[in-house]
Amino acid sequence: MQSRDYYSRKLNELKSRHSGNPDRERWRRETLAPWNQKTGYGGKEYRNSSEIPIHEIYTPGDLPPDYDKKELGLPGEYPFTRGIYPNMYRGKLWTMRMFSGFGTPEDTNRRLKYLISHGESGLSIAFDMPTLYGYDCDNPRADGEIGRCGVNISSLKDMETLFRGIDLSKISTSMTINAPAAVLTAMYVAIAKKQKVPLDSISGTVQADILKEYIAQKEWMYPPEAHIRIIRDMMTYCSVNLPKWNYISISGYHIREAGSSAAQELAFTLADGFYYIDLGMKAGLPVEKFAPRLSFFFNSSIDFFEEIAKMRAARRIWATVLKEKYDVNDPRSLLMRFHTQTSGYTLTWQQPINNIIRTTIEAMAGVLGGTQSLHTNSYDEAWALPSEEAVKIALRTQQIIAEESGIPATIDPLGGSYYVEWLTNQMEEKAYEYFDRIEKMGGMLEAIKKGYIQKEIAATSYRRQMRIESGEEVMVGANKYQDSSEKPIGILKISKKAQDAQIARLKKVKITRDKAKVDAILGRLEDAMRDPEENLMPHYLEAVEAYCTLEEISNAGRKVFGGWKEPVIV
Amino acid sequence: MNIDEIIEGISRKDSRSISRAISIFEDELLADKAEELIRKLYPKTGKAHVIGITGPPGVGKSTMIGRVSGFMAEEGRKPGVLAIDASSPYSRGAFLGNRVRMQESLGEKGIYMRSLTNRGFKGGLSLSALGACKVLDAAGFDPIIVETVGSGQADLDIMSVAHTVAVILAPGLGDEIQAIKAGMMEIGDLFIVNKIDREGAFIAMKEIQDTLALGPQDKWVKPVLGLNSLTGEGFQEFIAELDRHWEYVNTRGDGKARLQGEVALIMESIFRKSLERLMSDEGGAMETLRRVYSREIDPYMAAELLMEYGIHDPARSTRLK
Amino acid sequence: MQGGKYLADGKSQSLFRDKPIKVLLAKPGIDGHDRGMFVLARAFRDAGMDVLYAGLLPTPEDVVNTAVNEDVDVVALSLLNGAHLTVFKKVMDLMKERGIDDISVVGGGTIPDHDRPKLEKMGITGNYGPGTPLKVIIDHITERAAEARQKKNRI
Repeated sequence: MQSRDYYSRKLNELKSRHSGNPDRERWRRETLAPWNQKTGYGGKEYRNSSEIPIHEIYTPGDLPPDYDKKELGLPGEYPFTRGIYPNMYRGKLWTMRMFSGFGTPEDTNRRLKYLISHGESGLSIAFDMPTLYGYDCDNPRADGEIGRCGVNISSLKDMETLFRGIDLSKISTSMTINAPAAVLTAMYVAIAKKQKVPLDSISGTVQADILKEYIAQKEWMYPPEAHIRIIRDMMTYCSVNLPKWNYISISGYHIREAGSSAAQELAFTLADGFYYIDLGMKAGLPVEKFAPRLSFFFNSSIDFFEEIAKMRAARRIWATVLKEKYDVNDPRSLLMRFHTQTSGYTLTWQQPINNIIRTTIEAMAGVLGGTQSLHTNSYDEAWALPSEEAVKIALRTQQIIAEESGIPATIDPLGGSYYVEWLTNQMEEKAYEYFDRIEKMGGMLEAIKKGYIQKEIAATSYRRQMRIESGEEVMVGANKYQDSSEKPIGILKISKKAQDAQIARLKKVKITRDKAKVDAILGRLEDAMRDPEENLMPHYLEAVEAYCTLEEISNAGRKVFGGWKEPVIV
Repeated sequence: MNIDEIIEGISRKDSRSISRAISIFEDELLADKAEELIRKLYPKTGKAHVIGITGPPGVGKSTMIGRVSGFMAEEGRKPGVLAIDASSPYSRGAFLGNRVRMQESLGEKGIYMRSLTNRGFKGGLSLSALGACKVLDAAGFDPIIVETVGSGQADLDIMSVAHTVAVILAPGLGDEIQAIKAGMMEIGDLFIVNKIDREGAFIAMKEIQDTLALGPQDKWVKPVLGLNSLTGEGFQEFIAELDRHWEYVNTRGDGKARLQGEVALIMESIFRKSLERLMSDEGGAMETLRRVYSREIDPYMAAELLMEYGIHDPARSTRLK
Repeated sequence: MQGGKYLADGKSQSLFRDKPIKVLLAKPGIDGHDRGMFVLARAFRDAGMDVLYAGLLPTPEDVVNTAVNEDVDVVALSLLNGAHLTVFKKVMDLMKERGIDDISVVGGGTIPDHDRPKLEKMGITGNYGPGTPLKVIIDHITERAAEARQKKNRI
């Protein structure tokens, strides 16, 4: 590993690229200014979410000399600005991965089978709030929330139902779960064992990016150190037993949804990524073994070029830092693979059909940014979980981009645009500014525990809200072009029946299992938690197989590790 | 709820009555009600140990208070907590963030906690903080822990309500410790270094001891303690020291001055209030001031006249109110 | 932003002259989406209010206890997880049980149109969705706070 001030040196290096642009100055003076004077135009300033001022025009003078050869490169070649694969979408289109999950495991099982029958081989499962926080369906606090934002899983029994009739050797499953990710992974392993599928052939992803939970999504159970230890255990266990399991999906999506700018999303997500690299190395795992199992998850928002620049910068930073700071040379480890989801917070509650157009623009940015997979939001998502009709339109949006627009025919078609390249460089610099500041604060974990990252995001979010309030930032239909004659749209309703069904099933599980065995296993789990050298994964597996519930298992940790109160952000 | 219902509720420890009573002390509009409350409650007070806790931001005051009040409740005491937050100088609004920091399980343990802002504590002792203390005292809470924002004059004023003042610091604050030392060394009765597990904690304790050794030496030797809010380390000792200081205040001559000092402060603030009323009255005070200004009478004469006039003329004193 | 900018109404201005509106922001369900809460907290503070945030995952009991102990004028509830009908109702039931009539409750979040009358019937007003201008929310809170404060001051 290189010396500690890598980021500050790198930042200086990047800043030294700047020089004036005499061409633009001349043009402004001789051509633009007289024109503006004559027409009365001009005066308006443009800025993107990252507070980068945008010029009227870009020329070769905005890029450093030899930029093409040194920093831009070609697809499939370091530093991967133009894409991680040599042929990108000419070889294989991005995966159209639509996130789904609601109600009981039976409900979601039907939806999954429907998707499989239509050729989908990559499942993506959403869980309800109680599951995400490690509470069972019969917890009084979970009342009214069962199956609302995703499927409910309280014990292995539910997971068995969820995957009934689905052959785990033939599919890959992405599970959007964080705090209890290790427990859900253990459940998946238990099902594979029951199906007699060899563990080294099951593939899938759990999100398990706990850092961004403390930053943005706020779904944690224990103090950061405890969750990080569990992730370490999962990394170690999986690299031996589940070689095809992607155990962390490092997510900027939620950071952005929490109100950050594009540059903050980029910086904080990558800083999280480097933290996990440090974690794996500290656990003694070879980088070549675990780096390829890390993937990323970005937001694609409405400022088209800013998003594209962000994704291109992300690939370049990841490869550059791994190579220069961490001395990684294995090419597979340098590739940043990422999933993209269109933005939720740009969707409006008013005139919801307009959201289809927003999602289209955002999806195009994701594709032009070189994403490996894409989820397009449905137009009714500012209201509720999407209806089937709305999901279909969202999927069709991707298919039209893929098969009608001609966009996939060329790799990185915006590469070489003076503007896009300049903006890519700007985003990169902004990211290194944050890396440097975070490093000086004592690293990402410290910065999060102090609330620094959260405060940065809250401040940006508030500024944006003020711009929307003043009309400076336009949201069509919401703060401009309002329409009072709007009619409500039909939305998906979830009945409370799911809750009753889940509680009944859990009750049955609790009656039929061997209680003495459950107690003994939970006791052993607690002991293991107290010993930081012990790997928790085998204990989780043992617990889920004995039908210990998600909450019982989570409570063992609550007892040993305690909870965590976030620093005050506002 | 009328005042008598509120007073009856306070004696039952009813949280709604307690809360309403504290609000009355926050609102100038209800000043006459506040007076009525103090008159009726005062005889029932005088039992609680008021502990002030201050220190710079970021040292973990709120978390520490959450812990110490929890330990006290477990021993069967009935702690009440008043947390004072800073209001914005721009909008007057305030985030009352301390509550989030300490609220964990306060309710279950029967600990009453209330946030106040430092708004309106214009010079002199804050009647609202004092009133809130009296309400909690009358309700039988003991001790009453007052947490302050850790800076400024208002802080020092609030600290003068307290019988015991604990100053809390943490290692790694660097310059802040220096700055704090200047103002806080005199007001603290005991000193805490929080986050004792952190690097530099023992050096910080040593530094405080050294600074204290340079200051005036009282009969009460100011202890310096280390705490760890995560593990609970040092808390039993801290509670014992608080008790020891309370004992000292109640039994030793120089300690008792503290108790009388509190009464003097209340009186002072009542006088200050009446004075404000006398001085702001347009009909009388303005006229008197004008006469002084035109050299008709001298300022001493004016003061004598105003006080006599204000106090003895019943019609006039009603109007002054 | 200027203090009390939104408090145009002279009557409420004098009502809150010395003791500003005190509001508790709370998400009483299993829901950590707090971006909106932070924006509201700041906007309320900048409008001159005293703002409390109940923190992550408070129970309805926590919310009512805090509201009572802090003697707030308004409790502003929000949920984005679809559980508003169940969870908001619990808060209202607890308030009723304790005979609290001098604290107003307003709501917000992803609340579909057809749920709004049900919430109104429980006594929860506002029920604003995403994209509502802050001024609308602040005016509504001011109005409901004045209602509560007048009841409180009847002593």
